[in-house]
Amino acid sequence: MIAIRDPGLRAGRAGRTREPTRQLLRDVSGRIGWAVLAWAVALAFFLPVAWMVLTAFKPESAAETWPPQFTFSPTLSQFQLVFSGWGPYLTHSVIATVVSTILVLALGVPAAYALSLQPIKRWRDGLFFFISTKMLPIVAAIGPLYVIALKTHLLDSIWVLIILYTAMNLPLAVWMIRSFMLEVPGELLEAARLDGAGRIREIREVILPIVSPGLVSTALICVIFAWNELFLALNLTVTNAATMPMFLISSVPQEGLFIAHLCAAATVASVPVIIAGWIAQRSLVRGLSLGAIK
Amino acid sequence: MANVRYVSATRVFGKGMPAAVDGLDLDINDGEFMVLVGPSGSGKTTALRMLAGLEPLDGGRVEIGDRDVTFVPPKDRDIAMVFQNYALYPQKTVAENMGFALKMQGVHRTERDRRVREAAKLLDLDEQLLGRKPKQLSGGQRQRVAMGRAIVREPKVFLMDEPLSNLDAKLRVQTRSQIAELQRRLGITTVYVTHDQVEAMTMGNRVAVLSGGQLQQCATPRELYDNPVNQFVAGFIGSPAMNLRTVPLTDGGARLADRVLPLPPAIRTAAREAGLSELVIGMRPEHLHVTAASPQADAARDLDGSAELTGEVILVEELGADALLHVRLPEGGNQVVARAEGRKPPTPGQAVTLRIQPDDVFAFHPVTGARLAG
Amino acid sequence: MTVVEDLAPPPKVEIRPRAVGRREAWARRLPLLPALIYVVVVTQIPFVVTLWYSFQSYFWDVPGGAHFTGLSNYTKVFTSPDFRGALVRSVIMTASAVIVAMILGVVCAVLLDRKFFGRGVVRTLIITPFLVMPAAASLVWAGPMLDPNFGLLNYLLAPFGVNHVAWLSTHPLGSVIVVMIWQWTPFMTLIVLAGLQSQPTDTLEAAKVDGAGALATFRELTLPHLRPYIELGILLGSIYLVNTFDQVRLMTNGGPGTTTTNLPFYLYQQVNNAFDIGGAAAAGVVTVVLTIIVATFALRLFARVFQAQETRA
Repeated sequence: MIAIRDPGLRAGRAGRTREPTRQLLRDVSGRIGWAVLAWAVALAFFLPVAWMVLTAFKPESAAETWPPQFTFSPTLSQFQLVFSGWGPYLTHSVIATVVSTILVLALGVPAAYALSLQPIKRWRDGLFFFISTKMLPIVAAIGPLYVIALKTHLLDSIWVLIILYTAMNLPLAVWMIRSFMLEVPGELLEAARLDGAGRIREIREVILPIVSPGLVSTALICVIFAWNELFLALNLTVTNAATMPMFLISSVPQEGLFIAHLCAAATVASVPVIIAGWIAQRSLVRGLSLGAIK
Repeated sequence: MANVRYVSATRVFGKGMPAAVDGLDLDINDGEFMVLVGPSGSGKTTALRMLAGLEPLDGGRVEIGDRDVTFVPPKDRDIAMVFQNYALYPQKTVAENMGFALKMQGVHRTERDRRVREAAKLLDLDEQLLGRKPKQLSGGQRQRVAMGRAIVREPKVFLMDEPLSNLDAKLRVQTRSQIAELQRRLGITTVYVTHDQVEAMTMGNRVAVLSGGQLQQCATPRELYDNPVNQFVAGFIGSPAMNLRTVPLTDGGARLADRVLPLPPAIRTAAREAGLSELVIGMRPEHLHVTAASPQADAARDLDGSAELTGEVILVEELGADALLHVRLPEGGNQVVARAEGRKPPTPGQAVTLRIQPDDVFAFHPVTGARLAG
Repeated sequence: MTVVEDLAPPPKVEIRPRAVGRREAWARRLPLLPALIYVVVVTQIPFVVTLWYSFQSYFWDVPGGAHFTGLSNYTKVFTSPDFRGALVRSVIMTASAVIVAMILGVVCAVLLDRKFFGRGVVRTLIITPFLVMPAAASLVWAGPMLDPNFGLLNYLLAPFGVNHVAWLSTHPLGSVIVVMIWQWTPFMTLIVLAGLQSQPTDTLEAAKVDGAGALATFRELTLPHLRPYIELGILLGSIYLVNTFDQVRLMTNGGPGTTTTNLPFYLYQQVNNAFDIGGAAAAGVVTVVLTIIVATFALRLFARVFQAQETRA
């Protein structure tokens, strides 16, 4: 059978059988059902967060009622309270988080480089060493840590947090950055080497530009963990270095109504990290799995 | 065993985009080995997937064994498919891979094992391999497991999506003939997709040439070679490719370089009727005969009506049995490829005379590409 | 000129670092040293000190400082019902949270693996619990969610006959575990989702052609494919979850009594309430040893998961 077709002719709909209505209905209802189920699960997970944010706008009188109120006249007074009290806590959190993250990147990038692109002989051991520090619970050493901090006059100083947060996030960062570096095409590095680039040049001009989105993700993940950290802050700081998690605790008074205020504080405390996580969403997997999964 | 029919089958991927498969009409006979061939993007794989049920149709229908299967899910179409990258189940053993479809059908274990072993024997797969996982096999072994998985099912139709493209050249040639022989033995209708026209020509009972989602020609390999229906088929089938040149018409023929190529009256009439001042001529390299210069030979040849071209050899590709000459023609730097004897081919820089019979010259419409006076 | 095409894929070569000269070897080590030294100093020194103190009797509120006491701290730890209770509770809390979070994670991942309207938003909503500050999550669940008098949960469950339940009093362990699950399901979801999306589509199509329905495909192909991902999720999740502190401290403060006291909280109490540095140190050392034992088994799993990692010389 020879068929010659005019190149300009478009598809003809001659002889098309209609899709059986039953099957069509099943397909469409299946798709709708899936979406409904997925949305239901998502809203269920998000509900406590939504409730927290909603309650933050309530006056206290509307926050501890039965049944719980969904409509009320919103007020910003809780937030005003929060913003009047959060100053030092915010500062401490920001300093601890930002400085420790910068340190993590400064130490982590060269370390990741040495474990990926110009590997040392025992790179596997190096990697596993970093991971092993993550596995040992920091809680076990809290007593002696307290004593050390006291004796070195670092107790209740922002530096104890910076030092410890850096150590806490460094293994994570090294694994993550390493996985990003392994994605740099080998040919690019070879070309750079042929062009005479030394090691530092190579890092700066070839690797960093390609890896920089990965560095941003790594930084965001470190920020998330440092910002949310409670245990060390609780045990090693009192007032001079108290961070946002501590601020939260302080908004739970011994008596009196406090739920709306608590929610406002919780919202304010959580929002930066939630935004950071939403931005770094795609890299969350890589960070959480220590770079094992893309 | 069944016949297969595409009726005006169409698939469009995005709104406003050209159709990937455009109104395909194709009848495949029961037990036939039909090859779908074409360059990438021609729609051949999409057409195969439409037959498999892996792509929906946006127009037209598909029939297997005279039954409309357009909306029937793949598992109910009684087909088996060999994928380009084999698509073997990585966590299952070879035996489990091959027996998977039977397991899904509820076939009993002993029966499954028997059929798997039979298929393995048919494909020359060693019994030891049955317990291994795909990643422990070589490329050629994996390909055979993929075929085995299809054979075990004894389906109505075999679908094969470029199953040889991941094999090295030598293995490919070997496996090609094995597949063709297997199909002959089993007699199952087979639809085979490839971009390699050599594969198409050597394996198919009939070959369907596709381009831009449209069927160009469907015929036996011989027919496609001798009587291409348009410029695309003429240039696609045959290796090395046909020389195609757009040339102006003159009295008695077409002007190529510094010569006038005499054209048969049929072509000249067709061209005149179509109101053409130029057309595309096609000359197969094997029809451009390299001749030695000698007065007697010249005289003899002048009488046989063949057209003569002269030019300078630019490049010689030695293939052993033959040699391909790239010859530059005077006036305009046109180049043609001619096939010559492998033994003592002309050397680059040498002047050479090529002769071609007028009947061996193809002519095509310069705009539509349709063959003139076929 | 003959042209022969060879389309065989290049053989897989394990890339080893080239044998390098000594100076080059040191030049390569150099970038690693700052991070390595830093981590060693900051993490190993405290543990050495912990080890030291574990053999000392050192009470914060007792004058006289630390003095050597041999293994008495360890005896105390091994005979202490509180420590054993905390250990058991840690295991229970971690195991149940990890398992339930993984099951829910698989469900969410399967839901997210198909295209539907607003899929990106749904994904963002599902991962949010992980991002919420654990301290905030704990306090919000303890109050606005679970309170018997004004909590949202009681309100939502009222039509089902639930009547002003004081969750934290009557089901303290369950409540804490629920919050742990709530916060860690997104983690499991993302890991399993990465696994689902790494499944080669042509094997799924082959299964379709071979007659496997959705359930059969999931059982025969997807689950085996997901196994390393699920293992990784369980492993990493356990590592993070065993250190749960925030929820225990802020929701129930380890109580009522010791019903929700896990190892981290127990150690915290030793330091903060009992001021027993020596005892806490010994408990800490035992915790570390137990963790190492579990981690060794886990690392063997890790090695398989990370087998694909390679370097470039």
